Amino acid sequence: MSSLNFEAAPLPVRDDIAEALPQVWARIGQPGTWLTARERVAVAAESRNARYCLLCAERKEALSPYAVQGEHDSLGELPDDKVELIHRMMTDPGRIAGHWYAALTGSGLPETEYVEIVGLVACTVGVDTFCRGIGMAPPDLPEPQDGAPSREAVGEANLNRDLAFAPTLDPFVDGPLQKEFFPGGPPSAAHIRRALSSVPDSQRQFWQMATVLYMNGMQMRDFSTEYRAITHAQIELVAGRVSAINQCVY
Amino acid sequence: MALLRASGEYTGDDYDLSAVLGDSGEDSGIPHADVLIRLAETAIAYDDAATGAAREAVIERMGEAALVDAAAIAANFNAIDRVADAIGIPLEEEKAAISADFREELGIDDFGRASLPAAAE
Repeated sequence: MSSLNFEAAPLPVRDDIAEALPQVWARIGQPGTWLTARERVAVAAESRNARYCLLCAERKEALSPYAVQGEHDSLGELPDDKVELIHRMMTDPGRIAGHWYAALTGSGLPETEYVEIVGLVACTVGVDTFCRGIGMAPPDLPEPQDGAPSREAVGEANLNRDLAFAPTLDPFVDGPLQKEFFPGGPPSAAHIRRALSSVPDSQRQFWQMATVLYMNGMQMRDFSTEYRAITHAQIELVAGRVSAINQCVY
Repeated sequence: MALLRASGEYTGDDYDLSAVLGDSGEDSGIPHADVLIRLAETAIAYDDAATGAAREAVIERMGEAALVDAAAIAANFNAIDRVADAIGIPLEEEKAAISADFREELGIDDFGRASLPAAAE
């Protein structure tokens, strides 16, 4: 049972969104791959709290966010390194740099947990932004469920460490995860499709949301057909404006 | 933005790509760009009052289904941008090449993290 449903939404929501987003939201409250359910819900809560952080506001105004030191205004449920990741992702993602990633993961935050947190923050942002966009209150956080993290490691031989800051699944290795995530082979493995792939469940959860909110790869490039109630041009205008505000080049 | 330009090339429309950088969008050549931009800006700012006004404008001009889809796109990119930047995902070389002209012209390369192939190094 998800604390998110669109039955009482102020306007009709597409069936695929109404089906997928409550599942994604409920999944936040279940044990993850590397984090407990309680930690996962705490990540979602902290991501909502980040916009009230004074340190983040000061860093956002600074020429370099790395020049401003201090303590985050956090909810106190997570350690400092996880709070730093969540707040930076929420308030100044465009200026995240490789040296910052290296410092966080080099001082004790496992890469695996880093990637899982990135996926959780993204799913929380996606759900919250959509709800607010259609005039609906963001859902209550899910209740953490019992159970232990699966600790499903993909194995070093499956990882590519040269693409990004964080490791990603190597599409050139012949393995079951590669077949699941990149069914068209390496050419179909757009960089963004690889981003969360080193933690497979995070990959599945995020793309379950992203595919219904946006379009699939084929629809994205098929300009001869409109798959949504707004045109391709209108879709890319909205996408581009949001990415410009977020200072995201990708 | 590469897809925005590509969609215009397909339909024969010459869109003003600078609309994504903060103009109202009225001169972009894209129908209803002004209300869509307003919705995107207010929704990702979590400014519920302003989003309410923007939402009404989209519904009035384009209908409820358009509002839902526009909100979905804003939500998706508000999320996926963060994934790309937190993981350090670079632009594919071919995408970097075809977007080089407008990235330079519009100042996109000056964004906080240049997500180009060399940036991950």
